[in-house]
Amino acid sequence: MKQILIEKNILQNNDDIASKNRQILKDKGVFTINLLGAPGGGKTSVLEQIIKNIKHNVDVTVIEGDLYTTKDAQRIEKHHVDVIQVNTGGACHLDASMIDQAFEHIDINNLDFLVIENVGNLVCPASYDLSEDMKITVMSVTEGNDKPLKYPAMFQRSNALILNKIDLIDSTDFDIEEFYKDVYSLNENIKIFKVSCREERGIDELCKYLESQINDKRRNKEFQ
Amino acid sequence: MHEVAVMTEVFEIINENIKIYNLKKIDQILLKIGEFTCVEEHALRFSFEVISKGTICENAKLIIQKVKASAYCDNCGETFYICYTNKLCPKCNQFSSNIITGYELLLEKIEGE
Repeated sequence: MKQILIEKNILQNNDDIASKNRQILKDKGVFTINLLGAPGGGKTSVLEQIIKNIKHNVDVTVIEGDLYTTKDAQRIEKHHVDVIQVNTGGACHLDASMIDQAFEHIDINNLDFLVIENVGNLVCPASYDLSEDMKITVMSVTEGNDKPLKYPAMFQRSNALILNKIDLIDSTDFDIEEFYKDVYSLNENIKIFKVSCREERGIDELCKYLESQINDKRRNKEFQ
Repeated sequence: MHEVAVMTEVFEIINENIKIYNLKKIDQILLKIGEFTCVEEHALRFSFEVISKGTICENAKLIIQKVKASAYCDNCGETFYICYTNKLCPKCNQFSSNIITGYELLLEKIEGE
């Protein structure tokens, strides 16, 4: 009988690919976000608003993750930024090897901001490192304020949370005080932005925040 | 939902080791799974059954050791158990996001011959 001590991270393959790409993104000064959230929360709508707001100052590329179709890529393409659609063919999350393949189609030398829009899911994507600088979760008031406690991992690991469809709040039972209390109990350091994509509210503040992160990353590259 | 993906990775690592150590049969597999990983034990066991069928791991005992989540307090240096909704240091009442255990997803050990 042989006892073999392995002590290996089961997702090591994923994390190795992610760290290789993280180094490339660091060398090139590309700020990268992993955009997460449930289906229908407004990830793509928020992204469209962000692109409209910052594309004049910042070179943006988007990796769109979905099980099937190129519907989201078509929406992003209309804003005249580069977009790569990744279809997982049924898998519930993106992993680093999918991003690695998408990298082959990205002009990384002329890029400031890479957005990876993950598959709509509040569970599995939280576990996979995609070499992002930040995880940003989008949730909408129509989903209900109980979601952070029901899906705690995603909110615990996110650096920022975008609460979308805020224009609809009076038509729902969404309890905003309870929402803040719950989210901060999971993650006291999370940054929360209230937005309405339909009314284009709160987008400026969100974009200012992102631009400062993008500039920091760019500046760090210049110091190297 | 991603237990099958996790188990597929486990088997990749096991298969590498089967080759290296020239194993003919695996008797035991020990995993360490942190409580913040969102990996569900039953789904993981089911994935193991399906993937191990017809392999030399088919009759192996799968042991899943759960790891409790804990944090380190940057303010006072205390290490303490946490849960999703309570990460306050019991000593100084500061919130800690410095999570030191709970995210483990480890293939710790295999036994075979």
